[in-house]
This record gives sequence, C-alpha cells and structure tokens, in this order.
Amino acid sequence: MTKTLPLASAPTHPLEPFIQKLLRAEALLPDSETNVLEVVGILKSYGVVLDAYSKNLIYIADHQFLVLFPFFKYFNGKVTLPQLLRHWWHDRINFEYAEYCMKTMLWHGGGQMDAYLDSDDFLQRCGAAIAAKIKSNPAMRGLHGLFPDFLPEQVRQLAYYSALGQFWRVMSDLFIDLSDAYDAGQVKTIPEVVAFIKAGLVAVAANPITYAVEIGGKRYDLLPQAAGLTFLMDVAVPYVEAVFFRGTPFLGTVSYNAQANQISVDQGRFDYGALYADPLPIGGAGIPPTLLMQDMRHFLPDYLTAFYQSQGRGLDDVRVKICQSFQKSMFCVTSASLQGLLPHPADTTHTAEQAANHKFLAAWMDRLATSRLEVVQL
Amino acid sequence: MLSTLILIPLVGALVLCLWPGKLESKTAKLISGAALAFTLGWVGLLATQFELATPGFQFEELLPWVEPLGLSYRLGLDGLSLPLLVVNSLLGLVAIYITDPKLHRVRLYYVLLLVINSAVAGAFLAANLLLFFIFYELELIPLYLLIAIWGGARRGYAATKFLIYTALSGVLILGAFLGLVWLSGNTSFDYDSGLAAALPLAQQVTLLVALLVGFGIKVPLFPFHTWLPDAHVEASTPVSVLLAGVLLKLGTYGVVRFGLGLLPDAWMALAPWMATWAVVSVLYGSLAAIAQTDMKKMVAYSSIGHMGYVLLAAAASTPLSIVATVFQMISHGLISALLFLLVGVVYKATGTRDLTVLRGLLNPERGLPFVGSMMILGVMASAGIPGMVGFISEFLVFRGSFLIFPVQTLLCMVGSGLTAVYFLLLVNRAFFGRLAIAPPTSTPQIDLVLPQVSWRDRVPALGLAALIVAFGLQPNWLARWSEHITLVLHEPYQGFVQARTQFAPARPPATLADALAADTALIAPTLTLPLPTASVPVDP
Amino acid sequence: MLSESVGITQFFVETSWLLPVYGLIGALLSLPWSTGLVRRTGPRPAVYLNIAMTLLAFGHGLLAFRGIWNQGPQELLFSWFDFADLHLTLALDISVLNLGVLELIAGLSLLAQVFALGYLEKDWALARFYGLMGFFEAAMSGLVLSGSLFVSYSLLEMLTLSTYLLVGFWYAQPLVVTAARDAFLTKRIGDVLLLMGVVALASLAGSLSFNNLYEWVKVEGLSPAMATLLGLALIAGPIGKCAQFPLHLWLDEAMEGPNPASILRNSVVVTCGAYVLIRLQPIVVLSPVALGTLIVIGTVTAIGASLVALAQVDLKRTFSYSTSAYLGLVFIAVGTEWPGVAFTLLLTHAVAKALIFMAVGSIITTTNCQNLTELGGLGGKMPATTLAYVTGALGMVGVLPLGCFWGLRMGADFLSGDYPVLAGVFFVVNGLTALNLTRVFRLVFLGNSQPKTRRAPEVPWPMAVPMVTLTVVTLLVPLIMAKLTLLPPWEYINPPVTALMLVSGWVGVAAGSRVSLSKSLARSLNRPLRIAQDLLAYDFYTERLYDKTVVAAVSSLARLSNWFDQYVVDGLVNGVGLASLFGGEGLKYSASGQSQLYLLTIITGVGLLGIFMTWTLW
Repeated sequence: MTKTLPLASAPTHPLEPFIQKLLRAEALLPDSETNVLEVVGILKSYGVVLDAYSKNLIYIADHQFLVLFPFFKYFNGKVTLPQLLRHWWHDRINFEYAEYCMKTMLWHGGGQMDAYLDSDDFLQRCGAAIAAKIKSNPAMRGLHGLFPDFLPEQVRQLAYYSALGQFWRVMSDLFIDLSDAYDAGQVKTIPEVVAFIKAGLVAVAANPITYAVEIGGKRYDLLPQAAGLTFLMDVAVPYVEAVFFRGTPFLGTVSYNAQANQISVDQGRFDYGALYADPLPIGGAGIPPTLLMQDMRHFLPDYLTAFYQSQGRGLDDVRVKICQSFQKSMFCVTSASLQGLLPHPADTTHTAEQAANHKFLAAWMDRLATSRLEVVQL
Repeated sequence: MLSTLILIPLVGALVLCLWPGKLESKTAKLISGAALAFTLGWVGLLATQFELATPGFQFEELLPWVEPLGLSYRLGLDGLSLPLLVVNSLLGLVAIYITDPKLHRVRLYYVLLLVINSAVAGAFLAANLLLFFIFYELELIPLYLLIAIWGGARRGYAATKFLIYTALSGVLILGAFLGLVWLSGNTSFDYDSGLAAALPLAQQVTLLVALLVGFGIKVPLFPFHTWLPDAHVEASTPVSVLLAGVLLKLGTYGVVRFGLGLLPDAWMALAPWMATWAVVSVLYGSLAAIAQTDMKKMVAYSSIGHMGYVLLAAAASTPLSIVATVFQMISHGLISALLFLLVGVVYKATGTRDLTVLRGLLNPERGLPFVGSMMILGVMASAGIPGMVGFISEFLVFRGSFLIFPVQTLLCMVGSGLTAVYFLLLVNRAFFGRLAIAPPTSTPQIDLVLPQVSWRDRVPALGLAALIVAFGLQPNWLARWSEHITLVLHEPYQGFVQARTQFAPARPPATLADALAADTALIAPTLTLPLPTASVPVDP
Repeated sequence: MLSESVGITQFFVETSWLLPVYGLIGALLSLPWSTGLVRRTGPRPAVYLNIAMTLLAFGHGLLAFRGIWNQGPQELLFSWFDFADLHLTLALDISVLNLGVLELIAGLSLLAQVFALGYLEKDWALARFYGLMGFFEAAMSGLVLSGSLFVSYSLLEMLTLSTYLLVGFWYAQPLVVTAARDAFLTKRIGDVLLLMGVVALASLAGSLSFNNLYEWVKVEGLSPAMATLLGLALIAGPIGKCAQFPLHLWLDEAMEGPNPASILRNSVVVTCGAYVLIRLQPIVVLSPVALGTLIVIGTVTAIGASLVALAQVDLKRTFSYSTSAYLGLVFIAVGTEWPGVAFTLLLTHAVAKALIFMAVGSIITTTNCQNLTELGGLGGKMPATTLAYVTGALGMVGVLPLGCFWGLRMGADFLSGDYPVLAGVFFVVNGLTALNLTRVFRLVFLGNSQPKTRRAPEVPWPMAVPMVTLTVVTLLVPLIMAKLTLLPPWEYINPPVTALMLVSGWVGVAAGSRVSLSKSLARSLNRPLRIAQDLLAYDFYTERLYDKTVVAAVSSLARLSNWFDQYVVDGLVNGVGLASLFGGEGLKYSASGQSQLYLLTIITGVGLLGIFMTWTLW
C-alpha cells in the first residue's frame, strides 16, 4: 500500500497520504469488503429516498408555485384519504429533509446559479411570473407592493427546489445503477465504486439546469437554457459545498447564543456538513439528518440489514449505523467529485500539472483536516 | 399469621440449601423469588385484614421461649411496621429479580438474601425487645457476607467496617434494652409503652442516648455514617438496593419504636438536641454529596441527608410528624432503591460510575435513554418535586415539625434545596451532553456502543417509579395504615407539643369547623376520595 | 330552552377542573413516541394529539368563561389529604379573571405549538417536545385556577421542572447542559424559600386555601419580625419565577431552549409567577418590609434589565431582559398594592412579548443566526415577520394606544400621586424599551443585507399563520379590553400622565432611530464607556457574582465536608485501633473463606454473649 511515489519531494501536507490516494484513483475511504457492502447498500437506499425527494421537490417547484398555504405539498398532487391518514400517522418519507438541504443550499449560495438569481434578467422573468400569478389576487398585489422583495425571494427558493430536484434525480439513478452493478458483481472494491460514481458524474457534468412554470396556460422560463447553468459546476459543486462541507449548525449540538460565539461569522468556515457530522447524536433532539436516516432505514437492502443486525445493538441503533455508513459513502462521493474536478488528468506526467493537481487537492485536504476522515479509516 | 412472613423466606432458604446437585442460577432465582412473592402476597393479605381503627398490635402471636431471660417469641403488627414490611418484601423481590444471572456461588447468595429478608421481617414484627435484638443481629452476618463475597475491589475493608459499626450498634442497643428492663424491675422484655415510666430521668436519658447512638449508626447519622458510603460503593447493586431501601429503615424504625415509644420523658428532654442533630446530619450529608464524583457514593451520601429528616420528624413528635417518619421511610426506601438500581444499570452498561467521565447517556440510540428518564424522575422525586412521594413526605416532615422546631425545620429545608444541587450535577453531567464514557482524546475513536438495557432490566425501575408517583398523587393510600399508631405514639407527647408550639396558631373562625371535622376524622378515619365535594358559589 | 342552555353552561363550569387535565392527557398520549416505543413511523401523531388537546382546552375554557361571565365565580373543592391537623384541599377558583388568563395561556400555547410545527419540523424529538409543552400548559392552567397556596406551590414546582426539561430539550448541546441546571437551581432557590413560607403559613394559619388565608390575615397576631420573614419567604418564589433580581439569570440562560418554549416562557410563564404573587399579596401586606422589598426589587430589575437589554447582541436575550424589566413593573404595582395595574400589564405584555418572540423564531429559522451584528435588511423579504415584530413592538410600549400602553399608563397614573418616583420608573422603562425595540428593528429589518441574511425567504405557513393570527390579536387587544370593560372611561384618563407616557415612548423611538448602531454593538474605544458597555452586556456580571458568592460558598462547604469526612471522621475511626482490622489484608475473604466466616461469626457471637453475661452480673 505504501508504495512511494516520485512526488515524494513535494511539500508534504499533513494529509499527504490521502492526496496520493486520490491521485492513484483510490478513495478517501479504505477499501474493505464491509466498507463496500455498507457504501453500496446505503447508496442503494439513499437512491430510493432521493428518488422520492427529487420527485417531490420538482412537484413543489412546478405545481406549488407561490402557493401560500401548500397544505398538500408533500402529496405530489394525489390526495386520497388513506394517503392522508398515513401522512397524519407520520408513516411517510420526511420531505422536510429535502427542503432543509434545499434551504441550506439557497442560504449558502455559490456557483453561477446563485449569481444568476440576483441578475436583472432573472428579476425580469420573475416579475412577469409573479404578476401573472397574483393578477387576480388584490390582497397579494397589495402585499407585493408593500414588500417588493417578498415574492422574488420565494421564487428564488422555488428555483432551488427545482435545481436540487434535478440534481437528485440524476444522483438517485446513478446510485441505483451502482447498486445494480454491485448486485451483478461488476463492482467489488471501493476504488471501483468511486470510479463508477466519477464516471456517472462526468457523463452528466454539462447537463443543463432549467426551470419553468406554467401559469394560466402560459410558460414562464425562470432559469432559461440561455443562463447556461450546468449540472456539475452550478448545482453539484455548490451542493457539495453547502451540504457536505458547510451545513448549518444543529440546534441540538451548537449554541446559537451570540455571546458564546460558537458559530462563525463567516459561513465559509462552517463545518457542520455531512463529512464532519458526528453520527452519535443521530436520533436525538435537534439533529436534522435523523430524518434522512429514518427515511433510509425503510429501504435498506437485506444484506445491509443483516449486517447491521449482527453488530452491537442490532437494529435498535440502526439510524446511527446508517449515518456511519452514509458518511463513508459520502467520502466516496467526495473522492469521486474531487477526482472529477482535478484540473489535470490524475496520471499526468507534466510536473507543473502534477503540482497544480497537488495544490488543488491540498486545498481540499486542508478543509477535511477536521472532518471525520480519520474516524472512517478505523 | 405473622410468622409466615418470617418462615416462608427461611423455608425458601432451606429448599435452596437442600436442593440436590448443582443449583442452577435460574432455579435459585425462581425459588427465592417465589418465596418473596408469597410473602409479599401474604403482607397484602394481612393488610386487607388489618383493622385501621384498632390501636396497638394486631395478629399478635405469643410463644414463651426463654422465660428466665424474659425472652418470648411475641410478634405483632401495627401501622408502623406494616408499610415497612411491604417495602421489605417488595425490595427483596426486586433485589432477587435484578441479581446478575452469571453470579458465582449461587446457593449461598440467595440463601443469604432470604435470611436477610426473614430477619428484617422478624425485626419489624417483634413485640419483644430481645426478640427484636436477635433479628436485628441476625440480619448482620448475611449482609456482611453479601458485601464481602460479591462486592467490589475494596469489599473486605467495606464489609469489615460495616460489621464492626453494626456490631457496635447492636451492643449499644442490647445494653439499652437490658438496662431498660432490668432497671425498671421488669422480668419480661415484651414491648410495653409504659416500660420506663418509673425510671428517673437521668437513667432514661442514658438509655435513650445509648439507643440513639446504636440506631444512629444504622440510620446512619453523622458522625457514625462513614461505613455507609463504603458499603454501598463496594456492594453489588441488589445489596445496595436492600441496604438503602430496607436495612437503614431498621435504624429509624428502632428510633421511633423504642426511643419515641418507650422513653417519652427522656425523649422530650433530648428532642431539641435530636432536632439539631438531624440538621447537622441533613446538611452534612447533602454537602458531602455535592463533592462526590462517584454516582453511587453520591446517592449514598444523599441517604444520610434524607434519613436525617426522619430524626427531625421523630423529635418533633406531633401526630403529623410521626406519620411523616413513616412516609419518609417509605419514600426514601422506594426512591433510593430506584436510584441505586439505575446507578447499577449504568455501571453494568458502561463499566464506570465516575461523574468526571460519564457524559450524554440520554442519547436515544446508543445511550441509556430509559435509565436517563427514570433517573430524572428519581432525582426529582428525591429533590421533593410535587406529584411524587418525596414531596409529600418532606412536606409532612416540615409541616409537622415547624411549630416545634422552627429553626431546625427551616435548616433542614435548605438540605432539600441542596438535594437538587447534587442530583442535578449528577444528571446533567452523566446524562446530558455528547455520549462518552471516557475523557476526550486526540486520537480518533470509533463511535461508542453501549450494551442495551433490556426490558427485563427496565421492569423493576418502572414498578418503583409507578409506586413513587402513585403515593405522591394519592398519599392517603399510605397514611391510612398509620393513623392510629401515630396517635398512640403521640399520646405521651401532647403536653410537650403544646408547650413547645412556638407561635400560638391563631385560627380564623372559618377553619374551626374543619378542626371539628378533623377530630371526628381521627376517631373514625375514612378514606377520602378525590371527588368534588362541593361547588360553593362565592359572592361575586 | 333557556334552562337547558344554562344547564349546559353550568356543566362546562363544573367541569372546569378538566382544563388543566387536557394538557396532561396530551403529555401522556405522546409517551409512545417520546419513549421510542413507536420507532418505524414518525412522532407527528403526538404533535397533532397535543394540539388537539390544547384546542379542546381552549374551547372548553371559552364555554366555561361565557358561563361564569353570567353566573359569578365558583369554587371547586376536592379533598385530597387529611391527616391530624393537616387538611390539604385541591381548590380551584373559577372566576372570570382566572378563566380569562387561562384562555390566554391556552391560546398562546396553541399558537406556540402550531408555530413549533414549523420551527421544529426537522426535529425528530417532536413528541417529547409536545409532551413537555402539554405538561407545561397543564401546570400553568392549574396555577391560574388554583385557589389554594398548596396547589399553587406544587404547580410552581411543576413549572420549574418543566422549564428544566424544556430548556434541557436539546440535552446534547454543551451550553444547554449548564443552562438547564442553572435554570432549575435558580428557580429552586426561590421555591425552597417559598416552601418555607408555605410550611410556616400552613402551620400558623391551619389552612392553605387562599380564602381562609385572607380571613386569617385579619386575625393573626404575628410578631413584626415573624411577619417580615414570612412575607419575604412568600415573595421569594415569584422573584425566581418572574426572573427578578437577584434570581433573574435563569431567563437569560433559558434562551438556550427551543424558541416555541421561549414564546411561552417570556409571556405566560412569568405571568404565572406574578399571578401567584398577586394571589399572595393580601398576605404579604402583613409585612411592610416585604412590600418595600417588592418595590425595590421591581425598580432595580425594571431599570437594570432595561439597560442590560440595550447592550445585548443576542436577539433572544435582549428581549428576555425586557421581560424581566416588565415584570419588575408588575412587582412595583403589587408592592404598591395596585393589583389591577399588575394584571393589565401582565396580560398585555404577554400577548405582545409572545408575538415578538414569534418574530424572533422566524428570523432564527430563516437566517440560522440570532446575532444582531450579523443580521440586517430582512424588512422587504419577510412581510409576516416584519409586521409581527412591528406590531409586537408597538404593543409592548406606550407610543400608540395598543396593549401595554394601557397598563403603563394606568400604572403611571395611579402611582403619580403617592409615589412620583415609581411613576417615573414606568416612564423610563417605557422609553428604554422603545429605544431598544427601535434599535433592534433597525439592526434586523433595515440596513443592508449581510451574508447570513442575503437569502431570506419568509417562513412557511405553520409559522406564519400563528404569527399573523397573533398580530391581529395584538391589534385587537384594546378592543378586547374595552369589551371586557378593562379600559377606563375617558373622564378617568389623566391627560398629563398619558401625554408624558406617549412622550417617553416617542422619545425612546426617536433616540432608537438616531443612535449609532455600530456603537451599540462594537466595544467602544472610550474606556469608561467601554466599562459601562461591558457591565451591561454581561448583565452587571451577575453570573460572576453568583460564582464568587453562592456557588463558591456551597462548593467550598461541600469540599470541606468531604475532606472532613475522609480525614477526620473516617480518619478517626480508622485510626482508633481498628486500622489493623480495616486493613483488608487480615480479613480478606478468600476462595476458601469458609473458615474465616466461621471464625468471624464466633467472634461476634462470643463478644455479644460476653457483654450480655457481664451485664447480667452488673
């Protein structure tokens, strides 16, 4: 494993071994049979959950456009009594988590999409859609007159609903494909998992992200094709930044007290994301990812359920275990993304390009220094 | 009738002794459990037959034994002993239930537990001083062995300390009993409230001091208490439950039954001193508890604090404060049993009781949330939060003693405040925060997994918690048994209470009717049910 | 027909004892989810059940209120515990006033619970939260109906417990660990002192029902010293509960808890404490010293907390201090024996403060931030929140004839005759609060967006609906008061005092809109100013004062006891010839320990027998 590479002369980073691993097309997560099983299994159930999240986000963006009281926004348009009863019994997917991720992305911003939402072009389009929507509602018109930023802000949020929905659509399919490949015996190691994800990401990198709503039979383009928003750089990267790295401070573990200064003024220094999160408090109060873990527990593949069953408290602490596996899988996704984003091919022989690659990875490793990277190695 | 309570556990013990071949842990548990379940049922049966309005002993049994010595096998049941007998059987059952199934020397262990149960029942039932003493001593050796064999690392030290202290206690009690009977020229040691009537005060006082020190060791009261924290820390959980829940009550029971009951003149003379002694004990125990870092030791010191209330209430000797002693004994028995039980579960799951390292046990997935919730309930009950039995018993203690010893009562209430301090330190340190059982380290650690607490382990805690809440919400269920014995015990003290009442209570005319009603209630006590008795329109 | 409807209303009045029970039932119903018995599905059914129970309580209360309005007050008595000379009765006073306050509690609890549906939508421990809210509501409802000091005391303790549990809701958060503990202990100090008073009263008066106590006060013959001690003990409980100096720090720390609980805590929980004080006031009058203490504590807290609020950078804390300040005014009103002023202030303050805390919750949800220095520019984007804040703020102070204006005006008016200085306190608090509210408004809603407020979509409907509802209610408060004949007729309004109240309010607003914001947040370079600023920002260093006094005293006493125990008591015992026995080496139980057991038994037995024999000889 510890084969010395010619790059040994480069300035050594505290996480140098990981940089080397990424350059060798390995992963931040060590390769082992159980790791593969956990990662693929959890991504399978994540894929199923993302499918539901994505459908709902897109439904809300398209069909609940500026609806002030979206009582049935989680029903995807199909409201029946049994469904309503199940909803009230809370026997359902926790779509609140999808919205939480969306809001986190919106709040942190970043990427071309964020910039576009502040452009005059967008404001114009948005104004037209709003005007069409509230045309026959004088109360709303009055409110819009008094608070002109209120509705555009809601539309920006809806744009993020749509964008995240589109992103997760792709990721869901990718993870389910990965699971199929694993079941078919085509993927056996962690590096193969990473390669699979990387290939999937690269293939859709340039897919356009667009958003349009229909009001009164007329179509309003809010994120037009012309804005040039793409899958990887404008949604995937901001998503990774917002959800994997930054996140938002959990009420259950961090004090919001201004005098305690526990939360940084600079959002760029936030480290509450999935790669940093502590799985132990999962299931407790004030820990939003519990919702995701709860959703995933319903779709675990049998082999993963059996694996969890055999460990520690069995299925009684399954949400913590899911979170641990999920974190491992997210390190794989991060590995794939970093490898996909390398400025130059990983196997380049050009020294300057090697240095640039190294510098790129070193910058990311600086941020991962305080993450759970060391723990997932155990 | 009453001997059954003593004999059944002994029969159980005998069966265990004679059980052929290797005795499986499960079988032993079953047999001893059955024996105590039977006694519990039997006490229940006695309770249904118990006549609330009859003063003095009921179901009396008398067998002449060693007549030259004045020792007879005389048993009797009254409102003072009945609740304690229930607690004895109940906690005995709990102790057996929670015993580790993988214990070594199973036969001896369960035999000892049953012998203790039998001896304690005998002590509570004995209506003869020497008989009481025999039972009191009989319980000593099994407990010594339970600590010495199945205890922690320093069990030898703790057990020996316990033995020596308690033996000393026995000597003093025996001395006092002998002195009492012989000095008063009696030949029989049978319990009789007029036993000491003819003795000069100086002799009575001497005897009472011996009794107080003797029983004070058992209670324990400052400064005779140091055996208790050691014994608790080294004892296994079931033994701690028994020790705190039942055995300490022998001390307070002795103080009330033999001190208050037999030596009224001396009692009245010493009462102010005893009240002050209670204050010292309460405050000292509470303050020492704050400084503890071992959970079990903290609960042990809290026992010292809480048992002090019994002495205060006994010293005041008003009807209310006497019933308060029963309440406080039962409430402390249930609450401390619950707390020791939970500490035991924590120790079993985490391997430590150190409050400097335990953190975040409330964690719902990997921690011990059930234990945490019960612990919060237990400490709140102990701190006297209304709705639980701890509150009503403390309220009765304070309300019953205030007019007699106002300053001491107020100081004891400070102890009640301190209880909240140390128990919140315990709960917030061990159960709040991020889950951990070791100090944070710089090297990465795999996320902690604690073994799960099964439903089997939860049942006794739930049962105790249910009782704590039930008696807290409906104290009549407890008070009804003791109403008459309270009056009997209070009788010699009427003048004393009246003379010492500090602030002549001025009553508004409106409550005079209540007072009259109360007098009739004392003669024919009725169980008051929580039904709306009247909706009286008040003038707008 | 008429008699039938009377019968039905009478039924609702007679079953008023159910009003506190509803919340309790809700709490019990949430147990399957909060204890984790139901794990595969989520906790929301517990939420709906609790909201339904609160709705039931609200509806029932409304019907009972209408019944009692026509019939006059009633008393419900349940005999609970009788023993010797102790008679504990669960007495409920069903009066217009009590039911009105109960409706306020139930209504605000209902709104706070719906609000929490949005605020805590990502929280998986919802069931526990709602169970606690149900419990909280039950305790408060019982407290306002209580007609007996014993019941009131018990329920105050329940409130202390539920505050502890609610502040401790996010038990894994490091500051919560200490905040919950300190909140409990601080309140507990007041509670224990109150318990002393309760025990004393129970012993002296023989009854704890308020009506009997009021009778007793007329005939009691207490010495002045005793009366003073009793009065001080009785007011100690409300001092803790209402976050008055020196027991005010818990409210600051309690802000670590979830915001929906803060809504209730800053509005109706403190009101409950003051409610008990008002019920106790006819007894406290026994002692002029206690009344004086109430006034002094009220004044110190009102002015001090208003100033401290100005220096806070935390959105929640700046308003929690203002709660203490208003309750200080209530204390002054009770101390000067103007319970009407106290009531009016309490009720109007509760509505306005609840609304402000709802706005605060919505800001925190949207911006993930409660630091005033990092907020700004939210005004245009969040209409419901902005309107809620503005309405709440106007309802809090005397600048327009909304809620608190009437209470403040009434207080200043009544006090201006006998205690002009205390009337001045009302003006000062009004001005300072107006200043602070304006300052916060500018910081949060005006100005440029900051990174954390750049994207600020308005909160979803579960939060917006209760907020808008309460906004409307706040605007309607004067009308409601008029309908309940709580407003004075025009001819009784004292024009100069009223004008002065409005002036003080507007001066505050003007000052607030002129004051340089950066100066109110950044530490000044001017040393004396900076010292003053820090003094206020850190609440006159009360926490450090506690640490240096009470905490230090208790912990050193504790260490002393422990040391004494180890080295003196135990050391003595170990030293006196028993050391060899205790050494453990000599008597260590070994595997073949049967012989030693035997030995020991014999030694003990023989020893005892020996004593027995010698005694016989003697």
